[in-house]
Amino acid sequence: MTTSVTSPLDRRRHLTGMAFVTPTLLVITAILVYPILQSIVLSFGTSSLDGSEPYQFVGLKHYAALAQTERFWNALGVTLTFTALSIPLELIMGIGLAVLLNESFRGKGIARLAVLFPWALPTALNTLMWRWMYNTDYGLFNAVALQSGVVDRPINWLGDETLAMLSMVVVAVWKTSSFMALIILAGLQSIPRELYEAGRMDGMTRWQEFREITLPLLKGPILVALIIRSMDALRTFELPFNLTDGGPVTATESLSLYAYKVMFDFIEFNFGAAIVVVQFLVIFAMSLIYILTLRNKD
Amino acid sequence: MTRNRPRIGLYTLAIIASVISFLPIIWLILTSIKTTAGIYAWPPQYLPAPVTFQNYIDIFTKSPELLLYVLNSLIVGLGTTIVSLSLGGMAGYALSRLGMRRAGVLMVFILAVSMFPPVSLLPSLFQTFLNLGLLNTYTGLIIAHTGLFLPFSVWMLASYFATLPKEIEEAARMDGMGFFRIFWSIVIPLSWPGFVATGLIVFIHSWNEFPLALVLMTQNAMRTAPVGISLYPGEYAFPWETISTATVIAIVPILVITAIFQKQIVGGLTAGTGK
Amino acid sequence: MTEVKLERIGKSYGAVEAVQEFDLTIEDGEFLVLLGPSGCGKSTTLRMIAGLESITTGDLTISGTRMNDVDPKDRGVAMVFQNYALYPHKTVFDNMAMALKLQKVPVEEIRDRVGRTAEMLGLTEYLERKPAALSGGQRQRVAIGRAIVRTPKVFLFDEPLSNLDAKLRVKMRMELQELHDSLGVTSIYVTHDQIEAMTLADRIVIMNGGVVAQVGSPREVYDSPADEFVAGFIGSPSMNFIDLRRGAGGGWSSTEGGLRFESLPFSLGDRSEIRLGIRPEHVVITPHAETGANGGSFEAEVRLAELLGADALLNLDIEGCRLTARVGGTGHSRAGDRVQATLPTPLLHAFDIPTGKALPRLVS
Repeated sequence: MTTSVTSPLDRRRHLTGMAFVTPTLLVITAILVYPILQSIVLSFGTSSLDGSEPYQFVGLKHYAALAQTERFWNALGVTLTFTALSIPLELIMGIGLAVLLNESFRGKGIARLAVLFPWALPTALNTLMWRWMYNTDYGLFNAVALQSGVVDRPINWLGDETLAMLSMVVVAVWKTSSFMALIILAGLQSIPRELYEAGRMDGMTRWQEFREITLPLLKGPILVALIIRSMDALRTFELPFNLTDGGPVTATESLSLYAYKVMFDFIEFNFGAAIVVVQFLVIFAMSLIYILTLRNKD
Repeated sequence: MTRNRPRIGLYTLAIIASVISFLPIIWLILTSIKTTAGIYAWPPQYLPAPVTFQNYIDIFTKSPELLLYVLNSLIVGLGTTIVSLSLGGMAGYALSRLGMRRAGVLMVFILAVSMFPPVSLLPSLFQTFLNLGLLNTYTGLIIAHTGLFLPFSVWMLASYFATLPKEIEEAARMDGMGFFRIFWSIVIPLSWPGFVATGLIVFIHSWNEFPLALVLMTQNAMRTAPVGISLYPGEYAFPWETISTATVIAIVPILVITAIFQKQIVGGLTAGTGK
Repeated sequence: MTEVKLERIGKSYGAVEAVQEFDLTIEDGEFLVLLGPSGCGKSTTLRMIAGLESITTGDLTISGTRMNDVDPKDRGVAMVFQNYALYPHKTVFDNMAMALKLQKVPVEEIRDRVGRTAEMLGLTEYLERKPAALSGGQRQRVAIGRAIVRTPKVFLFDEPLSNLDAKLRVKMRMELQELHDSLGVTSIYVTHDQIEAMTLADRIVIMNGGVVAQVGSPREVYDSPADEFVAGFIGSPSMNFIDLRRGAGGGWSSTEGGLRFESLPFSLGDRSEIRLGIRPEHVVITPHAETGANGGSFEAEVRLAELLGADALLNLDIEGCRLTARVGGTGHSRAGDRVQATLPTPLLHAFDIPTGKALPRLVS
């Protein structure tokens, strides 16, 4: 019995396909797959950066140490707090912006551009701009607050533990609500107009239209946006790096930033590898929830 | 309900949203055209008085490394874009059109690995690049960025190719073209909107990427714009007049690209998420 | 001599068998139409002949050469696609010239051949245009011209007219017919439109579920459908089907309603149930004659009368048995009228119920 793949016609197609895919798979393996695996290996042993000392397996030693390290638990807490605070705000802002941009009005092009800009600019530089506005002595916020008489002493936006976290959340919301908005907007635009016309025939108010038609049909896009953004928030790095350097003390030190410092300030690669493996697992769990939720939906 | 009220509300909201979006950028630009005294003045100067372009002149004359950062970002961004589009185009074509077995599994695999947090790649990538002599090279960072953004390119381009009518490629087969030729002289010319959208987003991603650029480019002269500017501050004080000016220079290319191609970028970002 | 021979050809995707045991020889110069509902395997068969799908089992030969593993371009076939499949970024000339260019035909000759084909199809003045600047009919002509230029041994058409509007379709259909008459090239044509099939074909292959249901001339498939599927598929509106049961006295009566036949001219064997078929255009309607039911003539009430223009369709009720009759469009009966409906015995069809196979007519 001959199968279709043995036909020379199909075989040529398959060979071409393999030839076309192979370079991509090589790059992805080299840059994404292999490093993850090596990070896992590193996290179970000791080694030197230049390979002068042979790799020694130490089992769960680094993970045990990690569990004893308060700064790690702090970083995990900061990361989760940051994610839990910023995602709902981004979602609300995103839905609002999307509904706004779905209306037609003059000057909409500018409004859309305004929404796109914060996303398009480098987070690192966005963060610098905000840091400048947050500046205690010369920043815009304190200038306005002091001059208008709301406060009589400058607010230390980035120097107070709670305020620093909130300030960081504000920057994240400012930057990424636009991304949420764009995805939700695409979802909005795929809702057939006839549904709203039918709703109007049924006597729905605008709010009822939103509740009964828009929101239920936006579930899919909202879920996608939520997941993509959550994964981003869980690996946030340059935001605390540039805004507060994790401070005051470690009040805004995310897992990524902590891992980076362990690896490149303290040059403890094996311990750092254990941190990134844990972070990877957190994000992996997140994407599993993602996939399972999507599957349940279908 | 009157017809006018919601309109006014709409405009108010749109204006507020736009102002909030633009505020940091505007404040930054205003800062960059103030004198140093104006920046640190009390009462604060909301509008620059006098307007000066001295900071820009200073950057070109006294801190040329800031321009070098922008150049580095350009080289890495363009290199990453070209390589990602080439490899991603070929892979996307194979996966969407050449009837590969397990194409679906490969697509999911590619999507899954793209979710890896960049920082978790760092311990290994840094060591490997160190040993291969790829630290502080354009090649090294271009390869790394290509790895990060290839999954996106493959998905974008594969879904674009899937919208082309299959019969055109079949007609080309009947006319006597091989698969390489079909890809080169039929598929690519017909898919340029897809390539443009993908390329723009990859370029922006590469321009903005931070952790890998920070770790894999350790020499000051090789830093990309976001990293170089972030690390620019001296030991004690933040020279805001220089930082603001450099930031303006570093974001202008992105602002221009975004403004010109906003349709393509929005289309690319939202492709496949609306369902 | 171009003879296309399909020997027990089959195509399967995993466990799904799209085409099974396709066995047919297409003669030189023949116009063969593959007809069937969507998903019946007709396009897959055509694409296997073209070389766009590999052949899972069986052998394909063209002019005596086995073609299973030959690249599409080397099979000597040209194809016209449903949505034209023109290269949107190339001019009409380049679209038509592509195959020749790839065959490294000298430029002079290309120009000459494309020029002549364009003239034949009335495309000369459009040669420098891009497909987007052409009308649907013109695009279709370019697609045909692209096939003609190659002087193929076999033309393959994959629903070439289905993207055109009704008027243009009729016009292009006639042009295709003339083209075939003048070029005389073997053609294989896939369609789901039975009018195209009836008008164009020398022979029609009717497919159903990946299997050939019947091969025959248009006359044959209309007059003597091989099974219930073919009988129902060919003809519009569809054939009426009535289930009959053998009565105690040897006569046949309908399971629903009041049709009764003393005898039927088919070799029925010892069947107790059959399915009777009659085309709407074969039901004879006469004014009500108070003769009662005899000799295949029944009293019927018109439930619905639909005027189509030249014709009208009457929906008849014969004591609960419904059937459709096609009558002239002028002066036809109205809903509520009582009429006499005659089902002429020579025009009846009979089918075995479990298999759907047509039962042979008794030779009288």
